[in-house]
Amino acid sequence: MVKKKEFGIFFLLFMLALFFVYIYTDITKAKEDIFERIQNHQIEQISYILQNIEKDILETTEIVTVDDMFSMFKKEHVRAEYEHIISLMLTSNVKYVYILYKDEQSRFRFLLDASKTDKANFNQKFDVNSPEYDTVFTTKKPQVIQQSDIENLYLTYLYPIISNGNVIAIFNIDITTNIQKIILESIKPLETFFVVLIIFVLLLMVMTIMQIFHYFVTRKKIFTDQLTNTFNRNYLEETLPLLNLSNYSLAMLDLDKFKIINDTYGHKTGDYVLSQASKIFKESIRDSDILVRYGGEEFLLLINNRNKAKSALDTCERLRKNISKERFIYDDHEIRVSVSIGLHMYPYLEKNIQEAIKIADKMLYVAKKGGRDRVECYDEKESAEKLSSSGDISFVKEAIDEERVICHYQPIYDYKHSRVFKYEALVRIVTKEGLIVPPFAFLPQIKETNMHYKLTQRILLTVFETFKNNSKLVSINMNFSDLINSDIEETIIKNLQDNPHLASRVTFEILESDEINDIELFKQKINLIHSLKAKVSIDDFGSGYSNFKTIIDIEANFLKIDGSLVKNIDVSAKDFKVVKSIIHFAKQSNMQTIAEHVHSRDIYEKLLLLDIDFMQGYYISEPKETLVGEEELFQAL
Amino acid sequence: MKASILLLILVITLFAREDRVDIKAQILEKIFSNIHVDSGVTLWCDNKHLLEELKKSSYLIITDECAVATIIVVESRESIENDENCKNKPIFVLNYELLKNIPESFGAFFWKKGRPNIVIIESRALFQNIRLSKELESYKEEKVW
Repeated sequence: MVKKKEFGIFFLLFMLALFFVYIYTDITKAKEDIFERIQNHQIEQISYILQNIEKDILETTEIVTVDDMFSMFKKEHVRAEYEHIISLMLTSNVKYVYILYKDEQSRFRFLLDASKTDKANFNQKFDVNSPEYDTVFTTKKPQVIQQSDIENLYLTYLYPIISNGNVIAIFNIDITTNIQKIILESIKPLETFFVVLIIFVLLLMVMTIMQIFHYFVTRKKIFTDQLTNTFNRNYLEETLPLLNLSNYSLAMLDLDKFKIINDTYGHKTGDYVLSQASKIFKESIRDSDILVRYGGEEFLLLINNRNKAKSALDTCERLRKNISKERFIYDDHEIRVSVSIGLHMYPYLEKNIQEAIKIADKMLYVAKKGGRDRVECYDEKESAEKLSSSGDISFVKEAIDEERVICHYQPIYDYKHSRVFKYEALVRIVTKEGLIVPPFAFLPQIKETNMHYKLTQRILLTVFETFKNNSKLVSINMNFSDLINSDIEETIIKNLQDNPHLASRVTFEILESDEINDIELFKQKINLIHSLKAKVSIDDFGSGYSNFKTIIDIEANFLKIDGSLVKNIDVSAKDFKVVKSIIHFAKQSNMQTIAEHVHSRDIYEKLLLLDIDFMQGYYISEPKETLVGEEELFQAL
Repeated sequence: MKASILLLILVITLFAREDRVDIKAQILEKIFSNIHVDSGVTLWCDNKHLLEELKKSSYLIITDECAVATIIVVESRESIENDENCKNKPIFVLNYELLKNIPESFGAFFWKKGRPNIVIIESRALFQNIRLSKELESYKEEKVW
């Protein structure tokens, strides 16, 4: 990850800063050590000289008391003589040398001053303010006073003149800071270098910290969906490689009929409901679960089930219940929402996460199909075989090779004559275990693949074989890409030319909603069907964006009204009007009409009012493997 | 009070340099707060920078005219030698040698070997009716050495 690098750099800089601080401290210590050594050396040198002078004063003049000293130095020539001797100590470092005594009032006074500058008079008072002056008298030992660079002084050395065990006066040596200054000047560039280096490293550290901080801020923005405050797909892509899927169950969540909320109340309301619903989602899951807005009103939930696999299902149920009991109020509108959930308990069993998502998505589809507001769980072997394996091309190929592709037939009812007018052939695949797999489980996966054409061919052959020896009529679904496929065309021509009595009983239902990008080619292929004496039906009319002229031009025999329009005509006046208009249009264009999705008596009766020609749907009969007769119709009543 | 002068000097010694006028002013303010004359202490100084600095004092009365002053602070003898306005006034000098050379001077504040020093000649102060607080006791001298 990128940030590991940044943390590494930060750590390196931190260590560098520590190293430089250590070096800097070491240099400072070395400097102090040098100062101390110089100081000790200077004092040692001076001590020897002072010792000699002291000896000379005391021995040659037989001085015993302070009064003796005073009397001796009162004499100007004696003072001059000793000042001369002592002045020999003056160097560029030794600035002042003088002798002080303590008077009866404990004030210090000059006995002698050998200094070349700022010379004091004999017996002049000298205000001292360091306790070391008195300490010399009590301890009778030399004292060192560290000065604070007053008048260029670095330190003062006090040396006692002792006679008969008493301190009678003190030598006062003031040492300048010259050498120290030279040393400081020499070391200063090095110190400055390290100070600059430390500042530079610290600046780099601050910049790295800022960069890391900036990363976390932008990371949050990049990986968060602003509306729902959940993770987005970027996060999923970034995190997935690091996730151990064996610790998670995967659920796909979708708010039911959310489009209606948007269409009825507006997008602002939709956004509000979405944000509130995601809030409930988040409250219903644990911190270790990961909620991702997968798109629109669809969410992906990774449920951490390290301890209990069953808890994933509980979580989904809890989440579903929490949503369905909530009332969303926006602009005085009370809105109720439900959620459908497709759950894959063990996504790690799939080839990759995408496959697991696909399966969860299929389960979501099943939940929607099953009436919404429910959790469909995928965790059984049966399901695996039914759905997972149906998801790939090899499943279809295997079914074709092993003759497991079959057709179910749903009757299309002619209510005017109370008879089955014809049958619509609908494809099914029988699994090895004998389970029937519906087309939605495998058709999307093979769309626009060669397998799709092979499957269409197999359906054609199956239907032709079934109907060639009876007198019943049949409809076969095809899309434009099937129609222009040369192999399929060859199969149709061969079979219908060989069985002319069959051709007139076959209707090809062409999906109106399919993308027909070459109108001329489309017309050409329809003409071919007409030339074979077969019939043409426009399937799912009303669901796509019809070119009415093309539909009239191709002279279709039937027009099948899309189920999404039919299924609500009993409750929707608008849909009723649309269906009525389509029937009117079909009659004017000399086409017979078929209504599909007739699943209730109400719809059936509404359609009777509209003078539709034929009807098809579960209310009349579900698709069956055999061709049902009139006596088997309306059994679902 | 004695302790406070010593403390001030100690602190000043730690941080001061001789050429700092503000430090000189602070010490002088402290000294003159312990000196009394009958007509009250009104100071004049021949060093204009020091005079300006002394004006910042909330305690001392400072004048720009030597004639009005009751005590004059002198750094250079020449500055008062020919000035009639400055005649016969108690003088406080800023150099130990001036204490010797100017008989009217009763005290001095100066730097000796990097340390601040104060000397008050008691007899000259008494002669000029100058009274000294006890705080200045340790700075009193009988004569100029």
